[in-house]
Amino acid sequence: MNKLIDSIGSEDMSVQESNKLVKKIKGVFSTIHAFFHGNPPAIIGGLLITMVLLGALMAPILASHNPNKRVARPHIAPNAEHILGTTRSGRDVYSQVLYGARKSLTVALSAGIIAMTLAVAVGVTSGYMGGKVDEWLNFLTNVFLVFPQLPLLIVLAAFLGQVGSLVITILLGVTSWPWGARVIRSQTMAIRNKEFIISAEVMGESKLRIILVEILPNLVSIVFGGFLGTVIYAMGSEAGLGILGLGDATEVSWGSMLYWAQTSSALYTGAWWEMIVPAAALAVTGGSLALINMSIDQVSNPKLKTGPHMKLWKKLKKEADQRRGLL
Amino acid sequence: MSFLIRRLSFYFVAFFIAISFNFLLPRLMPGDPIDALFAAAQGKMDPAQMDAVREMYGFMDGSPFEQYIAYIKSVFTLDLGPSVLMFPINVTDVIGQALPWTMFLALGSLIVALIIGVSIGTYASYRRDGLFGQIVPPLLAFISNFPYIVTALLLFYFFGLQLELLPLAYTYDPALDPGFTMEFIGSVVKHAVLPMGSMIVVGIATWVFNMRNAMINVLGEDYVTMAEAKGLSSYRVMSRYAGRNAILPVATAIAMAIGFSFAGSIMTEVVFNYQGLGNILLKGIVARDYPLIQAILLILVSAVLTANFIADLLYVWLDPRISK
Repeated sequence: MNKLIDSIGSEDMSVQESNKLVKKIKGVFSTIHAFFHGNPPAIIGGLLITMVLLGALMAPILASHNPNKRVARPHIAPNAEHILGTTRSGRDVYSQVLYGARKSLTVALSAGIIAMTLAVAVGVTSGYMGGKVDEWLNFLTNVFLVFPQLPLLIVLAAFLGQVGSLVITILLGVTSWPWGARVIRSQTMAIRNKEFIISAEVMGESKLRIILVEILPNLVSIVFGGFLGTVIYAMGSEAGLGILGLGDATEVSWGSMLYWAQTSSALYTGAWWEMIVPAAALAVTGGSLALINMSIDQVSNPKLKTGPHMKLWKKLKKEADQRRGLL
Repeated sequence: MSFLIRRLSFYFVAFFIAISFNFLLPRLMPGDPIDALFAAAQGKMDPAQMDAVREMYGFMDGSPFEQYIAYIKSVFTLDLGPSVLMFPINVTDVIGQALPWTMFLALGSLIVALIIGVSIGTYASYRRDGLFGQIVPPLLAFISNFPYIVTALLLFYFFGLQLELLPLAYTYDPALDPGFTMEFIGSVVKHAVLPMGSMIVVGIATWVFNMRNAMINVLGEDYVTMAEAKGLSSYRVMSRYAGRNAILPVATAIAMAIGFSFAGSIMTEVVFNYQGLGNILLKGIVARDYPLIQAILLILVSAVLTANFIADLLYVWLDPRISK
């Protein structure tokens, strides 16, 4: 009998567990739905970036030619065989742009991860600890913030000679954290004295646990926003270093594509596709990430919302005005 | 006043860190940049030149500390030695010719972008339920986040090469003599339109969003409602009541934007072959002219620090509370 009760009990438990799981998944989907619902910028940005990511992921399937091989005569205009034409060295631009997406996005995303890790570490420590630690870290942040990053990067890259994408990633990561750190610091300071932090301290929780469990979850939208901003910046810088000839021109990335297009004066000779295609790829990726970033801002600060949210507000206002006899 | 002194001493320390970084850079790099330099300039330099470069780096006899002191002295006396690329012209002279153009481009575009951006941001937030407020900000977010280099290339291609509307190289028509004539100023403006335009396009969204976010917070305040209730015109409420208070947090972002603007100027100059620091930097990189590259970094740092200080002064003027 006891066994039976036990088994029923455990069955209940497992049903509850699975219900919880379903609820959780539903919760995730409703969050995603809420993010995109009635928010055209987010939808457009999301669609575009999905396209770019899919293109990068499925490059081996989608590409029509080997991006590193000479497959045709130089500077063939876009046609059925070469959808986006060929480069000066006879490589297929369409295939290059797909494979280049992999390299450029890897550099940008990894640089973003490095930068935001540093930014979170510095910002949260500085904001939560306060005192001397804060003073020093804040000083460090301000020094880095005041130095022009890109020239610094250019000089470092110039001294290292032509550098591979790994070095560029690391350089970008370690030079672009200060802005994130500053924003995260001030946000940490803002929630530092809230009741839930103080009660956690009174309960004797360790500082590390307070930072990881109590503070960090409240910074998610800021950190993610900063991450996207850094990714946009890193992608642009990679392209910039590439066109200056500081990247590794033998790798296929959007930056190196721009470099080859520039050195072969593609624009002057009328071979616009060699230059405009990678430029457009960079533009679409940057722009769509920015649209998503903007929508994240609206989630963390609903006051910034426009659209349906405002329509509802207007409707309510109108009704209220009618009740008061103003209309 | 103490605020300004604090800021000044901070900039001073930052400048020293920059000098020290510049001093350490050639010493920390794998391999000897001097050797690389001599390899690059093979046959073009005579022994006297090599010695000059060696000395410029502080690679002379004496302890590292003495070298460091000598380097600092050379920075403050503006004696940075000859450029390898344009020997025997001094690095400082090469930079002196280019710096004004970069300042013009970087600060000019920043100011224009600031004015346009703040105006759009103010209007977009005031009318955020309207068509303007819903369409313009996302559109600008999209366009403004094209990388600097891409915006420059696109403008270069469409307005310069395709439509042939505007000149594509140099800071002014080389046939003209510099001077305060209408023709010369016209030429400078014409040559600056595309590079500056591309930087403005990139810079504008920062200000639109900073201003918009600040405005939306301010618009909820009671005194704005009060001003509207008094029946003031919406322009007056928008600019005199809400805008004035919303501009403060925007001003803090200026310091950050100055660095970005200089960086953007470097990229843009390369695309438009504009004769500023970026162009020289590119030539220096190609020729492995390390003295020149380092001096450009140093001058950019000083320019950004100075501009930051001016931004601080502006901030004190806008918000006198800060100086107490």
